[in-house]
Amino acid sequence: MDIQFVGEHLGPGQLGHFFVITSFVASLFSTFSYFNAVRTETDLSNSSKWQLLARGSFIIHTAAIIAIFTTLFYIITNHLFEYHYAWEHSSLSLPGKYLLSCFWEGQEGSFMLWTFWHCILGLIVMRTAGVLETRTMAIISMVQVFLGTMILGFYFGDDVKIGSTPFMLLRDSMQGAPIFSMPNYLEFVKDGNGLNVLLQNYWMVIHPPVLFLGFASTLIPFAYCIAVLWKKDYTLFVKPTLAWTIFNGAVLGTGIMMGGAWAYESLNFGGYWAWDPVENASLVPWLTLIAGLHTLLVYRSTGRAFTMTVVLLLLSHLLIWYSTFLTRTGILGKTSVHAFTGDGKALTYHLLIVIAVLLLVSIAALVKRWKSLPRIKTEEETLSREFWMFIGSVILFLSAIQITITTSIPVWSPLAKWITGKEFAPPTDVMQHYNNIQVWVAIVVGILSAIVLYMKFKHTEGKSLAARLGITALIAFLMAGAIAWGQNITTWQYDIMLFAACYGIVANVYYGMVIQKLRFKKLGASVSHLGFAAVLLGILLSSYNKHPISFSTTGVAIDFGKNSQEENMKENRENVTMFRGIPVAMGDYYATYTGDSDVAGKDRRIYYKVLFERKDSVSHKVLESFMLYPDAFINPKGQQGLSANPSTKHYWNRDIFTFINSASDKTKSDTSSYRSHTVTKVGDTIYLNNGYMVFTGFVKDASDKRYQQGENDMAVSAGFRVYDASGVVRDINPLFILKDKKYLAFVEDTVQQMGLFARFANLNVITNDSATAEIMLKQTDPKDDLIVLKALVFPYINVLWLGVIIMVFGFFISLGNLLSRTGSVDTAAVK
Amino acid sequence: MKKIHIVLLILVVAAIAVIVTIFSDFSTYETFSSASRKPGKTYYVIGHLQKDKEMTYDPKIDPNHFTFFATDKAGESHKVIFNGEKPRDIEKSEQIVMMGYEEGGTFHCSRIQMKCPSKYKKDQIAEGNKS
Repeated sequence: MDIQFVGEHLGPGQLGHFFVITSFVASLFSTFSYFNAVRTETDLSNSSKWQLLARGSFIIHTAAIIAIFTTLFYIITNHLFEYHYAWEHSSLSLPGKYLLSCFWEGQEGSFMLWTFWHCILGLIVMRTAGVLETRTMAIISMVQVFLGTMILGFYFGDDVKIGSTPFMLLRDSMQGAPIFSMPNYLEFVKDGNGLNVLLQNYWMVIHPPVLFLGFASTLIPFAYCIAVLWKKDYTLFVKPTLAWTIFNGAVLGTGIMMGGAWAYESLNFGGYWAWDPVENASLVPWLTLIAGLHTLLVYRSTGRAFTMTVVLLLLSHLLIWYSTFLTRTGILGKTSVHAFTGDGKALTYHLLIVIAVLLLVSIAALVKRWKSLPRIKTEEETLSREFWMFIGSVILFLSAIQITITTSIPVWSPLAKWITGKEFAPPTDVMQHYNNIQVWVAIVVGILSAIVLYMKFKHTEGKSLAARLGITALIAFLMAGAIAWGQNITTWQYDIMLFAACYGIVANVYYGMVIQKLRFKKLGASVSHLGFAAVLLGILLSSYNKHPISFSTTGVAIDFGKNSQEENMKENRENVTMFRGIPVAMGDYYATYTGDSDVAGKDRRIYYKVLFERKDSVSHKVLESFMLYPDAFINPKGQQGLSANPSTKHYWNRDIFTFINSASDKTKSDTSSYRSHTVTKVGDTIYLNNGYMVFTGFVKDASDKRYQQGENDMAVSAGFRVYDASGVVRDINPLFILKDKKYLAFVEDTVQQMGLFARFANLNVITNDSATAEIMLKQTDPKDDLIVLKALVFPYINVLWLGVIIMVFGFFISLGNLLSRTGSVDTAAVK
Repeated sequence: MKKIHIVLLILVVAAIAVIVTIFSDFSTYETFSSASRKPGKTYYVIGHLQKDKEMTYDPKIDPNHFTFFATDKAGESHKVIFNGEKPRDIEKSEQIVMMGYEEGGTFHCSRIQMKCPSKYKKDQIAEGNKS
């Protein structure tokens, strides 16, 4: 049954398939050639031929990947909805700036982004790795082969599917749907499904590329580690691996915190970090990477901790694959807010195989070289930098293990059920679970980040160390005390964490200024440690005293003094219902919902106007007022309900964060009807729901911008002065028009703020100067126009953002300093 | 034995102790009847929304109060109170995971996760109010 379909553009898809296969074959050939180049190393002319071939095919591979991108971009921008990817992730009305985001909404697109970064990084490694090029690039090309299989979309029989291609046709992805038995089915596929409204946000344009660059860069330290084990040369790799690890730490850290900023600005789970499995999945590799960075520094200066370094750096890349497994296969289904429900089984096995292969390669390389790995027999001194750096790395590693165990509950719970008979679920209070444990990691790492720079590698003079650490600790103690008192931080663990954060700040500022005398090139470590400590302080201040200011008083009365989660749940009522025009007390403010920007349209975003006013308690003068515009998509992507984006008022020392949980659907709730009133003389009064209006007289031959006056028209407007309950005075002027002396027309007038509508029903002219008008009035019941709002205060959240920026800046200072130093820096490791 | 080994040993022991204690943090999946054996303790219950029974949510009265009926895996029907706004699309869910505790014959729920039938739609979680 071959149907000739009408109007399809099959060319781009075929071209895309061609590029997919080209890139796959090229990466395969590049891997093969690089392996051969290594194998024939002793035979220089032969080896260099293989190396040239390998380089060429890697460049072809890169070009093909870019071509795939371009083709898919063409399909999306031209709205070729015969392709499943374009139909699923874009729509005609999607603003141009979000077209790129379509790439990372889908699984195929995000694998492509990941592959793309590997290509770019691979090209840099190709140019810079020198003698290690053949080995590192062999590993990088091999990983590219694995990633390439993810977008192959090959079928073997009905059951075995390898990867999924972004160029799949809509009719192939939904086989059997009746619409595709029609040759002209495309005429009915008018528009795509559109981009998830949560992704229509500028953070979603920049956050995924940065995060994926962070994911992709873990491959380079991985490749270098395998390469040195392979070559059995344990010195050459130190400088490039260090540089890549620093770069990686900066980029991945930025990516993770951009995700936090995105969550904070546009998701309504009320914060920047929720210990969600998807967030954890990218945090864990960062922790192992930072641990590996520090052990690598130890190795560079003392020759110790080589094995630990290699294990941590190999693990960081493996964990990226594991996190892909967690987030993309749907295995987290029960536990995560934004786990992507993936292709299920095929992808699960596919990823498991890749992880198994990479794990085997890593273990085999380590085991094979185990006896020749560099080790140092003597014991390090307790007062040495390497001793404490090593301990810090171990703590970070343990922290990563704990987070992984809890995040992976769905992975190991079938096994646990088999053993214990219980079906394990995530902790009921996830935040508390992680916070209770990780606060200790924060304390230890915070204090270590303060003291470790004061120690020297190998040997430190005890007396001056004690004096410097003592002074800074005293200052930090006073600072922490003041903050704890001012911010009312009373939980003792968090008081210790506060001290650790303050110590990190004071000690690193002191170190940078007094000991390093602000020599910029040297400042990398102290600046990034300072940033890290500021992050800890920001997290503590903003989370500890984060509090809702919207409390509902319509429900059950609040009873304080109970603490368990079950009891709090009953009592904390953070949603407040706001009726239009009726002020609600929120913290120091009175908040009033004053209306919305309802404009009809598909996937319309409605802004809700909420006026915040702070008043003097005695004089009732308004001291400060501002508007917030939390918005929501009503019935996005054809679904029921609403998808909300928060709106935030930023102060230097706190944020007021609001979002809509529910809003009345205007199309359904306007149940009020018009009622007739008669007015004759000036002063006639009509009473309203929340005020009254006084007739001020007719205006004959009213010129009005609401209608174009014709020659023979007669227009009369009735004037009313409207007084609302709060004493505000407005005017309303419905219009009566006799067009060409024949046709009647009425122009309605409204007072939006009161939901008041007025129009003429009739006009009886009695004499030249007197008349009776029948006026129809409708007033929306204010109770029909409401929003359900939650408002939270985040104190000192800017400290957190500032800390992240400082930390990343510190990484780049270190990187710049490392790259500017020429010659061998690997002296200590050469033994 | 080197100092570093002693310190590592202490850390590993501490880590094992922490890992053992975090197991007591982990919750379990229960049914309404097994959850009712320990009233006031929070569990997860997997079940289905009863679409034919009454659902009430009126933000004019209380924006944090949504009640409905659900059946658990054992087939038992039960009244559920969710202290949050009514989750969108709950009518379309094919399975719901409720986090909450049993008390006085009703299940007090602070979090609902909905599994949706369509492949083209993501699962959703509705958070009630806590801490």
